[in-house]
Amino acid sequence: MNLQVVYCNYQSAEISVREKLGFAKDRLPEAYAALRSAFPRAEWVVLSTCNRVEVYTAQEDPAQLPSHHELAQFFSDFHQVPVHEFFDDLLERTGPDVVRHLFQVAASLDSMVLGEPQIVAQVKEAYSLAQQHSGSGPLTNALFQRALGVAKRVRTETGLAEGRVSIASVAVGDFGRKIFDRFDDKKILVIGAGEMAIEAVRYLKDVGGRQIWVCNRTQERAESLAREWGGEVRPFERLDDWLSQADVIVSTTGADPCLVPVSRFKQARAKAKYKPVFVLDLGVPRDFEPAIRDLDDNVFLYCIDDLEAICEQNRRSRQREVDKALTIVDQEVDKLMGELYHRATGPIVKRLRDQWRDVVDQEKKRLFQRLPHLEKDRSEIERSIEQMVNKLLHPPLEALRDEAREGTPHGLLDALRRLFRLQE
Amino acid sequence: MMPHTSIYCFLACYVVAFGLELTRFRGKSTVSRLFSLGFTGAGLLAHTWYLLNRSYETSLPPLLSSTHDWMLVAAWLVVLIYLVLAVLQNEMAIGVFVLPVVLVLVASTYGLNHAPNNEIYAMQARRSWGLLHAGLLVFGVVAAAGGLLSAIMYLLQHRRLKTRHAQPGGFQMPSLPRLAQANRWAFLLSFVLLTLGYASGLMLTIAAPDEEASVSLMEPVVLISGGVWTLMAGVVGWLLVHRGPVGRQVAWLTIVGLGCLLLTLFGLQLATGNIHSGSRSAAHAVQPEVRR
Repeated sequence: MNLQVVYCNYQSAEISVREKLGFAKDRLPEAYAALRSAFPRAEWVVLSTCNRVEVYTAQEDPAQLPSHHELAQFFSDFHQVPVHEFFDDLLERTGPDVVRHLFQVAASLDSMVLGEPQIVAQVKEAYSLAQQHSGSGPLTNALFQRALGVAKRVRTETGLAEGRVSIASVAVGDFGRKIFDRFDDKKILVIGAGEMAIEAVRYLKDVGGRQIWVCNRTQERAESLAREWGGEVRPFERLDDWLSQADVIVSTTGADPCLVPVSRFKQARAKAKYKPVFVLDLGVPRDFEPAIRDLDDNVFLYCIDDLEAICEQNRRSRQREVDKALTIVDQEVDKLMGELYHRATGPIVKRLRDQWRDVVDQEKKRLFQRLPHLEKDRSEIERSIEQMVNKLLHPPLEALRDEAREGTPHGLLDALRRLFRLQE
Repeated sequence: MMPHTSIYCFLACYVVAFGLELTRFRGKSTVSRLFSLGFTGAGLLAHTWYLLNRSYETSLPPLLSSTHDWMLVAAWLVVLIYLVLAVLQNEMAIGVFVLPVVLVLVASTYGLNHAPNNEIYAMQARRSWGLLHAGLLVFGVVAAAGGLLSAIMYLLQHRRLKTRHAQPGGFQMPSLPRLAQANRWAFLLSFVLLTLGYASGLMLTIAAPDEEASVSLMEPVVLISGGVWTLMAGVVGWLLVHRGPVGRQVAWLTIVGLGCLLLTLFGLQLATGNIHSGSRSAAHAVQPEVRR
């Protein structure tokens, strides 16, 4: 039994390399077919996301396992990229390290954002696609099913996935959703077109935001964003009107002097009849004067520093959970490896038992033919022989089991084959 | 003879459930959450059994027999509503707010008279009216407690949002609009139920035949309740006029209105030992043999 993973991820390879080596979903059937034809006896699972490209291989016979070079060549042939362009970025792990690596990946311990939840779904999907394309087999089934179990255990037994760690998700999840119950009837005003605004709008759309107004000094940029988000462009000159009508304001201009001083917003509030407004000031320097938050009870203003402080606090508390999660991973690795090693001894144990059973059957037959008067005590004699066989087999099998806890006991298995002349 | 359950049984269950709810401040824990629900459920079962026992012993519904039992019915209703909400909204830390109310209600019954109200046995013909009066009041008080708790949660949530603090992982509270809505409806509902409750009480007193014991309209509990009702009516009027986004003021008003109401009701009951203490010496009260 042998396991192997050849991979590159955001730590080992630039995005330009990962893009070249990634497997698009529509090309996966082709990839599995190519792998099957090159290495017909192996099991395969391909995990390809924006942050990692990993090919897991499992094989009962270690000699049949493809080498690191062979897999690099496969990547090269499949993607039409010369090997020397990525070979140094392509890492390899074998044996228990593969199990540990996959468990850490599935538990989001190896993710760019620690504890992010998407990776479990990605691992699940990769495994499911491998099953669909007949890539997986008994070993990879055991490996991936356990990995999903480990991810669940880490999620429920540790706080690794607790607390949001991106500014936009904290803004919308921790604050926006507690100020408003729903966003489908809210007017969302986006001032400026920074990266942060794009992320914030994505989260607002995820929670149901529909009416998006883009207000930008550059008309072309505003039009392009409005098209992208399915929103409408609003003229920058009439910003005061939009400020009074909007329920959610996301601002990222970073203008100096600040875009909305207290006096300007005060007028907008009067027109808005003091309805609740959620303001996300993501500009540096700030677009909204901080004193605006004290204008009335229904103004909820958050600037980038407020949100970043919470993200950092959440990151630290996630970091504190890493050791707990790693302990779970180690326990599960030992457990699975023990089971896999033990499973590897199964065929030899079965052959040994079958062989002894044949000998016992032959001897019993001979005995009862020669001494028919023993027939009346047949069951007692049979039980006695059975116990004798079990007692004789117990020490070698126990030794085999003990040895299997540390790895496949190749030496002992070979000794048993030779001592008892067990045939393949 | 039904086997006995003591108040300690369910009080202990609620104390443990409350302790488990407090662990929410340390983060999310499904196990702790399930145990908390389990203890609350077990407490509710023991609580139900206790009330059934009391009803069997006194041959009266618990709402009518004594203030002690009436308070336990109020606590029972609060727990029942809490359990339903806790199952439907399992992320929300409702128990942290509701369970202390339950504990106060149950613990306060220690200071109250257990003996059944003698005049109830006498008013055979009007007992259903008495049941309606007590029932409306108990539901009104439970709605008032709900309004008070939602107002407190609103203010805490509002403060957190204004001061830009993260919420602890396991300690989630509903959104401001939801809390404001719960607060408004609970207040209006409690006002309607308490108004009907007081009205049925007045009818009961006025319609009492001379030979039956009745409650005097000059009793402190009646007079003070009337005053609190007037205060509540004022708040309701304000609420109906101001329909705009004035959540924080509403929360403060309801805290004042409902807080006064609950303090008055329970304060008087604890101080006098029974809700209608002035009529206990009713001359014609006939109490049937109480089952033991």
